[in-house]
Amino acid sequence: MVATSSLKTVFKAIKQAALVAAVLLHGPVFSAPMESAHDLMARMAKASRELSYSGVFTYEYRGNLTSVKLIHQVREGKIYERLLHMDGTQRDVVSRTDSVDCVRTGDMLLRGNAYKINNENYARLQDFYEFHIKGDGRIANRQVAMVHVLPKDKYRYGYVVAIDKESGLLLQSVLMSHAGKPLERFQFVDVSIGESSADIDLQLQGGEFGTVDQTNCLQVDRKIDAPKSMWSIDWLPPGFVLASHQSPDTEGQEAMMYTDGLAVFSVFIDSVQGSMLPPIDAKLGATVAVLTKADINGHQYAICVVGEIPRGTASQVASAISLAP
Amino acid sequence: MSDHKERLEESLSALMDGEATEMETHRLLKAVAEDPQLRDQWKRYHMASSTIKGDPAITAIDYSAAISAAIDEEPQHRISRLAVFAGSAGRFAIAASVALIAVFGVQQLNSPLDTVSPVSEFAGVETPAANSGPAIQFPSGFQPTINARTVSVGGNNKSSQRAVPALEVNQQIQQQAKKQYSEAELRAYLNNIMSKHSSHAALNSNQGMLPFARLSEVESKTGSKAASQNTGEVSSEKE
Repeated sequence: MVATSSLKTVFKAIKQAALVAAVLLHGPVFSAPMESAHDLMARMAKASRELSYSGVFTYEYRGNLTSVKLIHQVREGKIYERLLHMDGTQRDVVSRTDSVDCVRTGDMLLRGNAYKINNENYARLQDFYEFHIKGDGRIANRQVAMVHVLPKDKYRYGYVVAIDKESGLLLQSVLMSHAGKPLERFQFVDVSIGESSADIDLQLQGGEFGTVDQTNCLQVDRKIDAPKSMWSIDWLPPGFVLASHQSPDTEGQEAMMYTDGLAVFSVFIDSVQGSMLPPIDAKLGATVAVLTKADINGHQYAICVVGEIPRGTASQVASAISLAP
Repeated sequence: MSDHKERLEESLSALMDGEATEMETHRLLKAVAEDPQLRDQWKRYHMASSTIKGDPAITAIDYSAAISAAIDEEPQHRISRLAVFAGSAGRFAIAASVALIAVFGVQQLNSPLDTVSPVSEFAGVETPAANSGPAIQFPSGFQPTINARTVSVGGNNKSSQRAVPALEVNQQIQQQAKKQYSEAELRAYLNNIMSKHSSHAALNSNQGMLPFARLSEVESKTGSKAASQNTGEVSSEKE
């Protein structure tokens, strides 16, 4: 009798010790010294622009795999990038240059700044996603922090990202469906970070560097001005804000792009080709394309929403586009 | 009612993405049999997808009734007593597997964040298991949004998937195709907007140039010209 009760006490003590140990072990995850998921994401947003690096990454969806070589160099306040597809048909090297200081809507959101929609409303990334650090991993022979990014609503997808601990570079990004299945994956196979990592002129014999559009660079607390457009969008998925707008071009195509900081979708409105195109509901890898038609005063317009967003979101956006009053 | 409808549309969308649960699929099949509107919607999705994957377009013709009738006429598909028994056995099996899924599901829900991450799966592979329909070719990387196996709408007769009178359908399709927009033009258009979108996304998605990789499969004979024209503000040069 005495023996059983002392045994019970011992068990109780072990149980308590285990509980304390569990709390202690998990404690640091929530405490200050470790970089928070938000900080990591913010650091990532800066690193992918401001660091020099080069490497090979793979892109995969639905069982298709392609590999791509990327060089990203920062010199005298300018970013020089080249991108070469390593397999399939020989294709153009994409070359572009951009100003390091140009911060765009997506960057602004991911860096954790509240983005001013109007005088009363701010869009903030953390209102629409939850961030969880899920421990460590190794990608491209580098130590990474794994972060799960979960959407708080059904209008956007989630991500699993791997961020290089040392530099903050994004080394893996997996788009996750609501059912928790991977839809597409970017992953570096090999990466070297630093100025001397590659000579951008020699590595890929690309042509001139085209300068990317600088008109959408933002000042703090600024936003892209609403387009002077004949169209109005009556509904946007919460958190998405205008990131760029292109007035109708010579072919009668007007384009708008929206982002919530992670997901991006574009809206194209065609007035010339509109009559020819059929309604479309297609998927290109993880990208959906929903094309609807609008008949306005006998003229047919094609409204196409393209992006890495759930189909439901895309069609809801497409049907919310109407002629501005 | 509208709530219910919205849920069904969500399920339909999930089914197109190959993400519908078995339960959703069954609910949907039942609803589609009764709701002509939902049926039409499904049909529209199919039409769009067949256009994109390069099949000549099938518009206003609804073959499903004719196909069902044809199946019914075939002796081996007539519902025999055995089939009825097999059918209910099948239903039981489905119910059992749903129950199994429910058990699994609950177990996983307990610790959604602590389970082994599914990231190491191959992204978005969907194998239409035992689908005996025609193999689908996607010439330029475009995916129709629909799974081939969702084709049989009509009822619970599983063999209806196999019994499509292909020849007859093909002839009618060809007559139809002449009236339609050019498929090549459509593909070029899609390539073009996809390319523009990626170019935009590469500036705003914080993934740097990664979105350009999405273009890799889009290229096609007609598309390559369109794609290189419009890397948008980016100038690119042939090697």
